[in-house]
Amino acid sequence: MDERKATGTMAGPVEIAALLERIQDGDREAFMTIIRLYQQKVFVMAYSILRNREDALDAVQETFLRLYQKAGLYKTGNSFQGWLLQMAKNISIDSYRKHQMKRREWETSKPLEEIPVAVEDRASDSAASDLRSAFARSVEKLAKRQKMVFVMRHYNELQFNEISEAMRISVGTAKSLHFKAVQNLRKWLTPDLGMQR
Amino acid sequence: MNKCKLNRDDWAAFLSGDLEEERRKAMAEHLEKCPDCRAEADAMRRVLEKTEAVKAEIREAVASVNWEALPATIADRAFAASRKPERALPAARSLGWLSALRMKPALAGLTAGLVVGAAAMYFALKAPGPRPGPGTEYFASGEFLDKAELEMARRNTLDYLEKSQYVLLDVFESAGEGATAPTAFSSAQARDLLSRKKYLNAQLERFQMAKAKAICDQIEMLFLELSQISGELPAAELRKIRGFVEERQLLLKINLVRKELERGI
Repeated sequence: MDERKATGTMAGPVEIAALLERIQDGDREAFMTIIRLYQQKVFVMAYSILRNREDALDAVQETFLRLYQKAGLYKTGNSFQGWLLQMAKNISIDSYRKHQMKRREWETSKPLEEIPVAVEDRASDSAASDLRSAFARSVEKLAKRQKMVFVMRHYNELQFNEISEAMRISVGTAKSLHFKAVQNLRKWLTPDLGMQR
Repeated sequence: MNKCKLNRDDWAAFLSGDLEEERRKAMAEHLEKCPDCRAEADAMRRVLEKTEAVKAEIREAVASVNWEALPATIADRAFAASRKPERALPAARSLGWLSALRMKPALAGLTAGLVVGAAAMYFALKAPGPRPGPGTEYFASGEFLDKAELEMARRNTLDYLEKSQYVLLDVFESAGEGATAPTAFSSAQARDLLSRKKYLNAQLERFQMAKAKAICDQIEMLFLELSQISGELPAAELRKIRGFVEERQLLLKINLVRKELERGI
């Protein structure tokens, strides 16, 4: 993955603009190059929101299909990665909502005893994953923008300037949202972490 | 933490890891001296350590994907959609149609009407009358078409009357309790029924439908009044409508006409 990241940063804005132009002309190779460069970053973004491999892969496909249709709408001055990740973020959030609605329907149609109590049921049920799911639940609980910044910073491992591009907020706002997120998590998780205060 | 000289900005910068050298030094010095802030910094660090588990999960997921094959798969999908515009276009258009339907309840209603009409036609063709035997050419006599039309009118009227009854009962119930809450709902329904009546009028012109027409016209007047009510219906107004319905024994008459229609005219 590190190797890919390196190639990702190697593609400068000029190369990206050229690739996008070729995509608009229907150049399959150019399209595949862009996918190769960014597929993992898009996947991580989708996965951190959806927390499910198949759903995340669907979101990746959806994101690049939309890129293929909208390649002409990219404005050269802006960050391409920020633009693409924003698209991925929106698609993932839409998909998350859809799945959540389905899940709710499914849950309300089931007797109470059969509904899983824990939100994160995918991890194995070892003691270690208890804390992990408590953590995942707390992240879920964060206000929307705090959660997005936290997820992008720590799961996607993006820099604050990249986050600010993808979320269309200032770097300062991104940092302060991040701080608030950590503060909240720290507050909620104190009993779980066995911290004395 | 609050009484210390460290402020929010310091903490935010500390967390984001881009504290300037000078402030970083100052902060480190302060943390040495201040147990409260040190505990705070430790707690925050421990929270961030928890992300490692999730990161590991993400890395696992990333490792499980065949990244070599995915670009081609996506490209295939993208180009399949664009290479066959004559197939892709109608698909896009039909989707557009769907959303147009969703936007226009009236259009949706009309479609529903068509479907109901078609279904009625099916039953009409199925139920009465002599059928052309096998082997004979398809032939629809004027008499047959007439019957089919009548059948359709009969069914539409039945449907209309049944719905009207519900609305009237609704109004009745609210009048009985003295409540005025459901009137907004009933007036919307009344408007809906009024527009149905417009379609029904032509069918009611048939002489076999004279009885049904009389009652439908009476109900229509009621609905016209109901539909003009916006917001809350004064209790007196409600009582008046109720009186009107009771005086003419409308519900009873509706039932009689319905029975007659059901039996066939």
